Amino acid sequence: MRSTVMLVDDEPMVALALRSFLELETSHRVLMFTSPAEALATLDQEPVDVIIADFMMPDMDGITFLSRARELRPLTTRILLTGYADKENAIRAINQAGLYYYLEKPWDNEQLKVIIRNGIERSALFTELDQRVSALEHANVELHGLRARLLQAFL
Amino acid sequence: MNESAVPHDQQMAEAITQARLATLGMMVAGLAHEINTPLGTLNSNHDVLRRALLRLQVILADEVVTPDELDEVRRVIAAVDSILHVNDIAVERMSALVGSLRNFGRLDRADIDVVDVHEGIDSTLAILAHELRGVTVERGYGVLPRIECHPQQINQVFMNLLLNARQAMPSGGTITISTWAAGPDVFVQISDTGIGIPAAHMARIFEPGFTTRGGRVGMGLGLLISRQIIDHHAGEIAVESTPGSGSSFTLSLPVRYCGAAGH
Repeated sequence: MRSTVMLVDDEPMVALALRSFLELETSHRVLMFTSPAEALATLDQEPVDVIIADFMMPDMDGITFLSRARELRPLTTRILLTGYADKENAIRAINQAGLYYYLEKPWDNEQLKVIIRNGIERSALFTELDQRVSALEHANVELHGLRARLLQAFL
Repeated sequence: MNESAVPHDQQMAEAITQARLATLGMMVAGLAHEINTPLGTLNSNHDVLRRALLRLQVILADEVVTPDELDEVRRVIAAVDSILHVNDIAVERMSALVGSLRNFGRLDRADIDVVDVHEGIDSTLAILAHELRGVTVERGYGVLPRIECHPQQINQVFMNLLLNARQAMPSGGTITISTWAAGPDVFVQISDTGIGIPAAHMARIFEPGFTTRGGRVGMGLGLLISRQIIDHHAGEIAVESTPGSGSSFTLSLPVRYCGAAGH
């Protein structure tokens, strides 16, 4: 199944450059947004594997956007793209948005490709882990029920 | 106002230089960010074009093109076309920034010149684009004659007033810039929807060193210098403010420059 990468940048030129690269060099499905609010609305409807968001956006900054994205899709890998790296915001990004990677502009395409590939793998592993934990929890509930029924039958 | 608060011409020139240097660092940081976006785009696109070329070279190397490869060629050409379009936008953005910077600094112009006030305001806004993120700027420009002035100094006044407006609105708001002409003067009004100036501070805002922004170098001179520049142009600067709802600075400048006559 094709992985989905969501790009969110108020600057269409950056989002278009990233999309051109990903479409040429990868088989990922790319969703591009210049409005964080629209990106969140889409995220509410469908899961994506990786989100790359710009930091400085006028309507909603990238950290706030990724924090909300985390609430909607906790298993999605979140990457912040920034032209304005400072320590305070980096710490805020890691703590608030549970960031996977903090990427500075101008970015390196080859590095970006590797980060995205690892990010997709990470999301897939988390999703699998989540499914296994759910299955275990379900099995555990069933076992408890069975034990209760057994006790009821024989005691 | 006491004697020490009114600098002589030389002190005035030094104060202007000091304030220009203080804003320079901030301007450079803002411009670096503004240029970083188109630069990052061009950098990435350049790399993608190189990859696209390599793809085409590989496909065409064996001189026989399969239908699948033809589809691939079409896909690569579509990507290149899209990239070239984005590059046009990026180059245009960088050229506009450099143009604004040149216009703001009036690097290639005479000291006293006949200029379009709106051009000066727009250049200053372009340079402050980074600083003004999160703020809505509304322009209500009237029809103005070109005015004779020291454009570099007048642009410095626009910058000081716009920065003050920005700093009065830490959570964002609206800056409204209105211009109009009346008689021999032109008027520029810069209003914000910020915190306003308490009545107790109103009498002191044009004093040297008065600031509510801490003791950074060059701070507390912006309004003093702005008033001195406007005085030297035989113009006027007036302020109205309502604490909690905003401030409004109105400048008047004569169309014909007559130096610091009467000042």
